[in-house]
Amino acid sequence: MSSVFNGPILEMANISFNYPGSGRIVHDLSCSVHEREIIGLLGANGSGKSTILKIAAGMLRPSQGEVILWNKPLKSYRNRDRAKLLCYFPQHLDVHVPFTVREIVGMGLYPYEIPPVMTVDDAMAMVGVADKADAFVTNLSGGERRRVFLAMTLIQGAGILLLDEPLANLDIKYQVEFLKLLRSLKEARGLSVVMALHDINLALQFEKVMLIKSGEVHDIGAPEAVLTGSALKEAFDADIEVKRSENGNAYIVHDRF
Amino acid sequence: MRPVRMILFCIVVLGILLLALFAGPRMVNPFALTAMDREILYSIRMPRVVVAMLMGMALGASGAILQGVLRNPLADPYILGISSGASLCAALGLLSGFYFFGSLSVPLTAFIGAALVSVLVGAFGWKRGGLWPERLLLAGIGLNFLFSAVLMLLMSVSSDEGLRRAVLWMFGDLSMADWSLIPSAAIFIVIGMGLVLSRSKALNAMILGDEFAHSLGFAVQRERLILFVAMALMTSASVSLGGTIGFIGLLMPHIVRFLLGADSHLLVPASAVAGGAFLCFADLVGRSLMPPMELPSGTVTAVFGAPYFLYLLRRKDVLSI
Repeated sequence: MSSVFNGPILEMANISFNYPGSGRIVHDLSCSVHEREIIGLLGANGSGKSTILKIAAGMLRPSQGEVILWNKPLKSYRNRDRAKLLCYFPQHLDVHVPFTVREIVGMGLYPYEIPPVMTVDDAMAMVGVADKADAFVTNLSGGERRRVFLAMTLIQGAGILLLDEPLANLDIKYQVEFLKLLRSLKEARGLSVVMALHDINLALQFEKVMLIKSGEVHDIGAPEAVLTGSALKEAFDADIEVKRSENGNAYIVHDRF
Repeated sequence: MRPVRMILFCIVVLGILLLALFAGPRMVNPFALTAMDREILYSIRMPRVVVAMLMGMALGASGAILQGVLRNPLADPYILGISSGASLCAALGLLSGFYFFGSLSVPLTAFIGAALVSVLVGAFGWKRGGLWPERLLLAGIGLNFLFSAVLMLLMSVSSDEGLRRAVLWMFGDLSMADWSLIPSAAIFIVIGMGLVLSRSKALNAMILGDEFAHSLGFAVQRERLILFVAMALMTSASVSLGGTIGFIGLLMPHIVRFLLGADSHLLVPASAVAGGAFLCFADLVGRSLMPPMELPSGTVTAVFGAPYFLYLLRRKDVLSI
């Protein structure tokens, strides 16, 4: 399927959405995701990043427009079939029940009658939690817990991951490790990722970013073209300057506080 | 470790069942049964143990469902007012002479009450797109007061027999247990248990949150509805058998999670079995402590359950989920 398909694998066409009793959160938004793409989703608080991801995941129904997954309307898929193609990773991972790491990771196999090739042990090893297989997830640190859920997501085997601030509460070491892992999975398994994030410096290292302002796409493309000082100022309403280090890495500088 | 605990769990359950059958104000020797012993066993003890087992199973499984679906460790059909709603509705049915469905009439009216109260508690607990633990709890407590008062009022204006059943239903009592009650309630429990056991994966996923459940391929609203129907079926069956008994649904899932783990495939059936055994034990204590007087089983379960509920309330994370 993937080797002969060159079009977008996930497409949002003219999407509008508003929560009952509030103004429009997302307005006439269109964007697409291709195979092996990692897209950073940036925008100020309340700009609609999480809502956009939830609409793309089929969790919220748009009032207008359509989400297309592999050339078919998302709503035409059976829930279980959708889960094999598209996976959503929420921002808050609050589990208060003492499941073991192995049990949580194993839940990634729920959409399958016949389990796929990757085993629970493989998935745990991939994110470095194999030694904690029988530990209770309630006893793990925030970073470890995030990796456990990532293992669950990986074993689910979906080609598209929609991640809502997966780097929140992770220290810089795990943020970089997490991004490296996603990049290697992109190469090895043709994974596509859309990830909401707040760290503009990390986003500057992505291949593609989408800047959201008030529920609309402000700009989409390579970070050096999209994340300019003026665009960031407009989207975040803050004085931000983009600079470049000697080795060519871009970084931002903001007002002193 | 877990297999050892499993074996111990089974031994304790079996031990309690045997004790409930043969111990009590009058001890029965299973190896030397007299005609009188046989009569006591078949006419009094066995129906009582079967009723206690069924009620406890229904409540234990209902607690496991509610704690999972609502993601709230304090959830229990008694605390949320679902049991008293079922009692009130069943009492209304009885008083109005509703026997259209024969022996199924009482569990059926109780089911309507349980379902209505579930919706009502949910509506009170809902705010800004989510269920709030403290709102749910307060709604349950408020409704509990209301239903108990209305039930008492209804029964005090009715006949003496009505008053007796009101007390029975409010405190939970197994002294009226007999074989005739069992079949109709058992049908409800079997259907409810079948529904929840076929939904173990969905229940596990919902414990992680609606977003994960959706992402794992479950239709969250549909699964929640099915699980609530299963819970309402079992709670109403339990109420129709012996009234409102509290804290079994709260305690059993916590004990089973500690002993055998949190996976719903095992948690739900094990909470059911543990609930059955616990109610048999509570009934045994209730009838053995001050013979010939019998303490209602509900008071015995409350002696164990209420302190644990208060302990849970003190835990910081409980109301901040």
